[in-house]
Amino acid sequence: MDRSLRARLEARFGEVLSGPIRQRHDETEIRIAPKDVPDVLGALHDEPEYRFVMLADLAGVDTGEVMQVVYHLWSDTTGDWLRVIADGLSREEPRTPSITFLWKAAEWMEREAYDMFGIVFEGNRDLRRIFMPPEYTSFPLRKDFYLADDAARSPGGGVRPSERSHAPRNSPAGTVRRVKA
Amino acid sequence: MLDDEVGLFEPIQPNPPRTEREAEFYTLGDGEMLLNVGPHHPSTHGVMRVVMKLDGEKVVDLDPVLGYLHRGVEKLGENADFHQSIAYLDPLEYVSSLFCEWPAVMAYEKLLDVEVPRRAEYIRVLSGELNRIASHTLAMGFQALDLGGITPILYSFIERDEIVEMLAALTGQRMLFNYFRIGGVNGDLNHDFMSRLGDWMSRAATQIEANMGLLNENEIFVRRNRGLGVMDSETALRMCWTGPNLRASGVSFDLRRAHPYSIYPELDFDVPTRNEGDCLARYLLRLDEVKQSLRIIDQCLEQMPDGPVMAKLPRLLRPRPGRAFAAVEGPRGLYGIYAMSDGTDQPFRFRIHDPSFIHLQSFTTLIPGHLIADWMAINASLDPIMGGVDK
Repeated sequence: MDRSLRARLEARFGEVLSGPIRQRHDETEIRIAPKDVPDVLGALHDEPEYRFVMLADLAGVDTGEVMQVVYHLWSDTTGDWLRVIADGLSREEPRTPSITFLWKAAEWMEREAYDMFGIVFEGNRDLRRIFMPPEYTSFPLRKDFYLADDAARSPGGGVRPSERSHAPRNSPAGTVRRVKA
Repeated sequence: MLDDEVGLFEPIQPNPPRTEREAEFYTLGDGEMLLNVGPHHPSTHGVMRVVMKLDGEKVVDLDPVLGYLHRGVEKLGENADFHQSIAYLDPLEYVSSLFCEWPAVMAYEKLLDVEVPRRAEYIRVLSGELNRIASHTLAMGFQALDLGGITPILYSFIERDEIVEMLAALTGQRMLFNYFRIGGVNGDLNHDFMSRLGDWMSRAATQIEANMGLLNENEIFVRRNRGLGVMDSETALRMCWTGPNLRASGVSFDLRRAHPYSIYPELDFDVPTRNEGDCLARYLLRLDEVKQSLRIIDQCLEQMPDGPVMAKLPRLLRPRPGRAFAAVEGPRGLYGIYAMSDGTDQPFRFRIHDPSFIHLQSFTTLIPGHLIADWMAINASLDPIMGGVDK
């Protein structure tokens, strides 16, 4: 765990962070508002002190209450993965700036997040569905999208006695699974 | 329906463009035409459709269409428990299944704060490097096959077949191993595996070198690939390339060294790099990597400690709410899993990062300006597996 990264990030981005910096194992996590994404990621990418030149992953997340976009970055200046969470996108109309001006390859990852969560990335030139057919209307990875044959919640769910002993756990039919994270 | 006649030669009107880029792509200039390649084309390494905009035989622009193999593995994983979700990962990149499982078990181990026994780590590295060799020899053979050379792939399959038989003896399956477990591996090394491995290791290095001599010294293959599909290091980083493709462009980034995991810090191996960034460099770099993998296997066998291969864990896992990201260096690049837990026994978010998906995207950077036939050569040198691209 890189304690100095935490101090450096706090000193540089202190005023735009929307939550405490968390560190666990080899990961450092910061939270920012969606509107700050281009500035913060641009600074992390360009400034010689950080040099986060590699975008390891871009993922959409539906927490059941808000939408998030999660970026994982790598740099040779630290031994940690840096996780940047653009937090607090509304579930009704999630919008966030695109980062294709920094990493062109983010284009398809953003298309995937749009396809699966409906998150609109402003500035992405090619924001259309990538896996699902063009006529498709839902966003399948949202938490209110149930699988048709949801074996986990069916009465016959669970074949091992240890599983059968507890009630269908996280989401009884009709509710959305949520996480406080 | 028959009333509103559509003339045989009237073009079917396309859907209105959804984005700026799509409108630009489907607007044809003077003398340009569209050609549809795939989805069932032998050179697509799976099921992929590519719409090419052509000027004569030259590719002006292209638009890959994905999703023909989309199975929704992320959604399935979020509706399975932690153990079950690992099994969904094998069929993603079916020639390097172990590298699909590896980041998932690593991410779950981070969520659960589990320490993996050292012997299990060694077995993971050993079987992983074997799988890497199988994948690389196949990729090198396919690179020749896509250019019309039938023989090299047959030699590649000799090595690959030996390795998958070996791994079948270890894991019980030839392709979809489902071998890694949260906290270790499914079974210890056995006699069948070790004797096969010993036989194979005694001749592997010379055999692979000899097989690939068929291509390395092949004038047609070398001249066809040299200077084709050149990617510079700056653009490669902007395109988020990883793995052999990135290293062939002169960036020495290997997660085994750049962000060490498992027991790689204790092992002695080099990270081969090439500066040309063309199809030939990508081919030769894979050959270099096979040699390094053989070195790693040797060291693993030498240093293999005794002990258990599984950590003690309950059958039903409920990690505390949290997030974890883990990535490994696979034969195609960075395989990553981003897992979130909400305290139940199912992952809340199960994000799969696949290198083939990223590499395929640079078609639009690499191919315009080349001939149609070069598309096959460049595609083969990027070594995408569509099962992973479409998830």
